[in-house]
Amino acid sequence: MEFDLSVFVAEFARTFTFWWVILPALLLGLIVGAIPGFSAANTIIILLPLTLAMDPEVGLIFMIALYASSRLGAGIPAILVNIPGTAGAAATPLDGYPMTKQGRGQQALSISFVSSVLGGLLTTIVALFAMPWLSQVAYYLHSVEMIVIMIFGISLIASIAAKDTLKGLIAGFFGLMIGYIGADVVYETPRGTFGFLELYDKVPLIPALVGLFAISEAFSVLEGESILSKRGKEAMQKAGWAEAWEGVRLALSRWWHIIWTSIIGLIIGVVPGAGAAIAAFVAYQQSKTFSKTPELYGTGHLEGLVAPESANNGVTSGTLVPLLVIGVPGGATAAIMAVVLQYHGVTMGPELFENHANLAYGAFTAMAVTYGIMLLTILPLARYMSKITVVSTVYMCPIIIAFTLVGSFVPRAYVFDMYLALVFGIIGYIARKTGYHVAAILIGVILGPLLENYFLRALRISQGDVMVIFSSTIGNILWVCLIISLLLPWYMDRRRKAYQ
Amino acid sequence: MSEKPEVDRGDAGPKQVGGELVIPVAAILFSIYYFWTIQDIPWEAQVSALLVGSVLILLCLGFIIRTFLQKSRGEVSLQFSQLLEPIAFIPKRLTLLGLTLGYILVIPYAGFTLTTFAFLTAGMLTLSNGKKAGFILFLSALLSIGGYLLFIAAFKTRFPMGPIESALKGIL
Repeated sequence: MEFDLSVFVAEFARTFTFWWVILPALLLGLIVGAIPGFSAANTIIILLPLTLAMDPEVGLIFMIALYASSRLGAGIPAILVNIPGTAGAAATPLDGYPMTKQGRGQQALSISFVSSVLGGLLTTIVALFAMPWLSQVAYYLHSVEMIVIMIFGISLIASIAAKDTLKGLIAGFFGLMIGYIGADVVYETPRGTFGFLELYDKVPLIPALVGLFAISEAFSVLEGESILSKRGKEAMQKAGWAEAWEGVRLALSRWWHIIWTSIIGLIIGVVPGAGAAIAAFVAYQQSKTFSKTPELYGTGHLEGLVAPESANNGVTSGTLVPLLVIGVPGGATAAIMAVVLQYHGVTMGPELFENHANLAYGAFTAMAVTYGIMLLTILPLARYMSKITVVSTVYMCPIIIAFTLVGSFVPRAYVFDMYLALVFGIIGYIARKTGYHVAAILIGVILGPLLENYFLRALRISQGDVMVIFSSTIGNILWVCLIISLLLPWYMDRRRKAYQ
Repeated sequence: MSEKPEVDRGDAGPKQVGGELVIPVAAILFSIYYFWTIQDIPWEAQVSALLVGSVLILLCLGFIIRTFLQKSRGEVSLQFSQLLEPIAFIPKRLTLLGLTLGYILVIPYAGFTLTTFAFLTAGMLTLSNGKKAGFILFLSALLSIGGYLLFIAAFKTRFPMGPIESALKGIL
């Protein structure tokens, strides 16, 4: 599988001729990404009759444009109303929402758009060149290594909830236990389901996301006139176009930050199952660890917004690498793309580059073109989108509750999931009021089933030996990295204090 | 996230942290319930949850002991006002919670459009103390009809169907 530059250049030019497919997909992706429950994967499933009827190349471009733009769209409500459109944007409000409350919503959106687009563009180009090597990553990561990666993710919780590590850990492990609800993958025995059949298939993520973020937020903010502080409201009323351009300038000034955090996203995206949520939190934690001003994170800090947005868009191209090169989808959306392409008789893996080079390279050029078009079309909208923050909570709260609750119904069409979202809403409300991090609980819910699956698999392979988690060289290296990453913030903090 | 900044309590006495014990106590109770449900299943299906649950219980007990030590030193009190403040908003919050529960109960029968219209109207009127009723009615109608047109008619999304959706299915 050799990289042919002439094929790439020709593909890039040709992809531009598909602007008529990219534009509507982009718009659709932004909308579905911004509404909790309407992920890119769900939308592509809904539109299967359309994509299956299309020419495979047009269908692939449509799906990729929708996928890339939905990732960016998910950050918009996360910044403006503290409700991530998907779990991948769960780290975005950490600094994006405080910026909005200060009346800098427009600036925050511009920073998010530029970071997302540049992060996405860069990783698409890197993935294109490094595909043969990146695809090998998946071969070296087995159950044991994945367990360490999952624990890596959980350990971030302590760093995120920096004010009280103990509370952060309680929130994260509580989320993990909630994630363990349901039947186990080997014996199919229901555990902790309270007798509800709807929970046999694990706790669905969308109701958890909707409840923890949207419902709890709606019940919390109704105490004020709007989500903006008094000073924020004044700043928002004064804000003009200059504010949006200032956001662009600020994001560009952190170009190095965008590069390395998006590369984190790309590498994590290549690992099947790891996902954008982990990538965003890893990038956030690393960004905070190496920052000269870690105390500003969580207060509306520029780098705290750049890091997760670059990383979760880096994941987008990463998930395509194992799909195209070895035929293993890196995520749900990639899996659906594989189904559509297989329907048309396109085989994934090395053969794809020999028989359908236009599709293999076209996937990445479509993504690059989408990101380019996206920046031009969405940036001017930042000013108008940010106006939503001045809407009174009298109107905002019931709207958020109604539309996100019904969004939790969509993936499985169970009314039960709406009740579940309400229960998570109450948990989230209590957590917010008492200083526990809702994002930490959500990470736990996401990682719980993954951690258990890998743990069970490792145990079966080792015939029940728990020490199997220290049996792999790569795994042991990762354990050391995990310990270093836990100790590093403490060490850096001590060093900083010593200097002062 | 949206956590409010610590309020300067001045002479208001020790910090009230009773509410902070709700999550740890709930986590301990849930872990015990979970352990009870896995007692008769194969060891391999128990071990992961046992490890995580045990760590969770230890963390929660550590937090509870820390809180009680702070209480014994007079640094904190175990009242729940942190969870309930501002008290003036409790009636509105409870009404909205009741309306939300009603929304979920009714939506499978009345469908998205009708239930959303009723919920938005009732919710907004509650929060606005009955002011701007005309505007609220207009906005609720606009949003519920807009939602129907965008999600059900255009995107064919699986929203709860009721009499309005069924009647319009043949037309749109």
